[in-house]
Amino acid sequence: MSRPEGARILVVDDEPAIVRAVRTNLTRHGFQVDTATNAQEALATQRQRRPDLILLDLGLPDRDGLEILRHIRSDSSTPIIILSVRGAERDKVAALDLGADDYLTKPFGVDELLARIRVALRHAVRPPRGTAAVFRTGDLEVDVEHRRVTVGSKEVHLTPTEYELLKVFVAHPDKVLTDQMLLRQAWGPEYGSEGHYLHVYIARLRRKLEADPQKPRYLLTEPGVGYRLLSDER
Amino acid sequence: MKAPHSLRVLIAARWAGYLAALAAVTLVSLFIGLALGGARIANISMLYLIGVFAVAIAYGRGPAVLASLAAFLTFDWFFVEPLHAITVSNPDEWVALLLFLLTAIVTGQLTAAVRRRALEAEQREREAAVLYDVVRLISERDFVAALQAVADRLRTELTLSAVVIDLPGGDHDAVRAEVGEPDALAFLRTTARLPADRLTVGKAPIGAQRGTPGHWVRIVPSRRPGQPYVPAPGRVHLVPVTVREQRVGALLLVRPADGAPFSSADTRLLTTVSGQLGLAAERVRLALQATEAEILRRTDELKSALINAVSHDLRTPLASIIASAGSLRQQDVHWTDGERQEFAEAIEEEAQRLDRIVGNLLDLSRIEAGHLRPDKGWYDLSALLEDVLGRLRPITAGHPVSVDVPEELPPVSLDYVEIDQVLSNLVENAAKYTPSGTPIALSIKHQGDEIEVAVADRGPGIPAESLPRLFDPFYRVDRPGPRPQGTGVGLAVAKGLIEAHGGHLWAENGPQGGARFAFTLPLSAAVAVAPGEPAA
Repeated sequence: MSRPEGARILVVDDEPAIVRAVRTNLTRHGFQVDTATNAQEALATQRQRRPDLILLDLGLPDRDGLEILRHIRSDSSTPIIILSVRGAERDKVAALDLGADDYLTKPFGVDELLARIRVALRHAVRPPRGTAAVFRTGDLEVDVEHRRVTVGSKEVHLTPTEYELLKVFVAHPDKVLTDQMLLRQAWGPEYGSEGHYLHVYIARLRRKLEADPQKPRYLLTEPGVGYRLLSDER
Repeated sequence: MKAPHSLRVLIAARWAGYLAALAAVTLVSLFIGLALGGARIANISMLYLIGVFAVAIAYGRGPAVLASLAAFLTFDWFFVEPLHAITVSNPDEWVALLLFLLTAIVTGQLTAAVRRRALEAEQREREAAVLYDVVRLISERDFVAALQAVADRLRTELTLSAVVIDLPGGDHDAVRAEVGEPDALAFLRTTARLPADRLTVGKAPIGAQRGTPGHWVRIVPSRRPGQPYVPAPGRVHLVPVTVREQRVGALLLVRPADGAPFSSADTRLLTTVSGQLGLAAERVRLALQATEAEILRRTDELKSALINAVSHDLRTPLASIIASAGSLRQQDVHWTDGERQEFAEAIEEEAQRLDRIVGNLLDLSRIEAGHLRPDKGWYDLSALLEDVLGRLRPITAGHPVSVDVPEELPPVSLDYVEIDQVLSNLVENAAKYTPSGTPIALSIKHQGDEIEVAVADRGPGIPAESLPRLFDPFYRVDRPGPRPQGTGVGLAVAKGLIEAHGGHLWAENGPQGGARFAFTLPLSAAVAVAPGEPAA
């Protein structure tokens, strides 16, 4: 079986039985699973662990799931799949309009859940191509589902923060991203002016990904504005 | 109220006034003729004015005029030269006589006017008093009792044989109040079915048929063979009760045989009362409509509460079951024995939870249908308590639990499974709705001929507005946080079970905060059976 190093998924549900079943299943399918049984825990874990995807129950004991959704969406584009017993159309519309990527009514089948998780991860790579959540440019490959980065055929080990930063670029290929935006997306909403952090991490990423870090092919500097990840598309 | 009545009888006999006028004049004439010996005293005619005055006070305008004229003629005839002739020899006497007549008439008129005003004031005062009573009585909560009181009041006020207030209304809100002598009422019942029914149902009759307010519709009694009580025609009256031009009922009255006819004041009073009856009927009808709308709304609320409860509480365990079963079925994963075990356990636990919920719903419907029969035996309550606490240990793990049970506790007759269910429910609630770490105190007390079992927590307590509805099916306490907690069935079931045992279950907030749920079980005949020995 695959190593538990795939995408990080945060499961938020107050029903221990459901959390247990989903965690066991996802772990066995190669994902790294974090769990939370209430809103407070969910937000703390999200901030700390920076999951690649969140499975969110709407009926939580302390706060409504929609509030968490709004909160997370205010500073992150992490894919969120709602898992809820609320099956009415207006509930689904409300959640989707607040930024949920998908909505699954309980009870659900595990295969469908897994398929939807794959779809959500695939969409994290723009523009979505093929059936895998994989971004390619030159000989650089970022597999979001399995959380694996390779250059040529050699796997590159990134720290969580480096990976987080790279994911932001992967989600917006060929777009110029400002320092502030990168900081917020990769580090969190309270960051924005710590440009020196960013420069350090960009330099590390280039050392790991570029053949010649002095003359980057993938991660380009847009002087005075920010950075850009070049894709094959252009 | 006796005086106005006798007065009314006197006034009613109008001819009596004229007779009295003549009598008064005769009296004065006799006095002048006999006592004074017919002596010629200047202006002795003024004595007649006293008579006129008295007649005016007692009988009003008409008799006063008659008295004046009679006095004028009598005086002329008997005491003015030439005697025993209308003619008057002295022209001065003429002037005096005419002046006397004028004075008599004017005095009579003025006095009569004063009298009339006094009478009117008295009548209005009485009318106002009656009306005030009627309005006060009619606003009584129980409408039928209110009408009964009004009918009674009218009957005593107007000294009637019978009063019936009949508001046929719709199919299910017909109201009828009857007061009076049995045979008069019986008569009204049969009569009302004849002309009154036709008059009280449907659109108001038009034009002449309807008559002006305050006019009677006189019911001519039908002369049926074998009907013993038939009041004279004109003694039975019907006052229509209308609401916005629509006839909604009638006020039926029977006067006694020796009673005076209704005066104009009575007519006015009855018309006003019937107006008030109409308003009251309308008010009651609107209130009834509002109640029905409220019941519909509640039913609707209950339905959506049920649907919510079913959708959340049945689907949640189903979700775990389906997810676990689906995982086991997956072809691409080889589960370890431990994982398999875990899924199987989840399926079993959640299926049992579903079963509990369904069981609760079934219990609830059985309780509501009144089909609950506890299967009782004699048991030791403290052992039952230990049982429950042992089983619920995983749920109460986060709370220090204390138990206070007296040493000598008589056995109690109960259905073990049902009381276990009640106690489990209360303990589970205490654990579920209070922050972990807060204590839960259980106690059993022997009080007279019953046993009280209480579960007290130190949580947030029960909001005061929730206390009265706490045991309603599907009712859930609004708590901060969006999740509906529980089906809202458990407490309703618990209450039903305890009541089926002849005890009662209630909730209160403790003096130091926290909720306290307690129930009693009767101990009657507990001594008759030895402890531990199950009863038949």
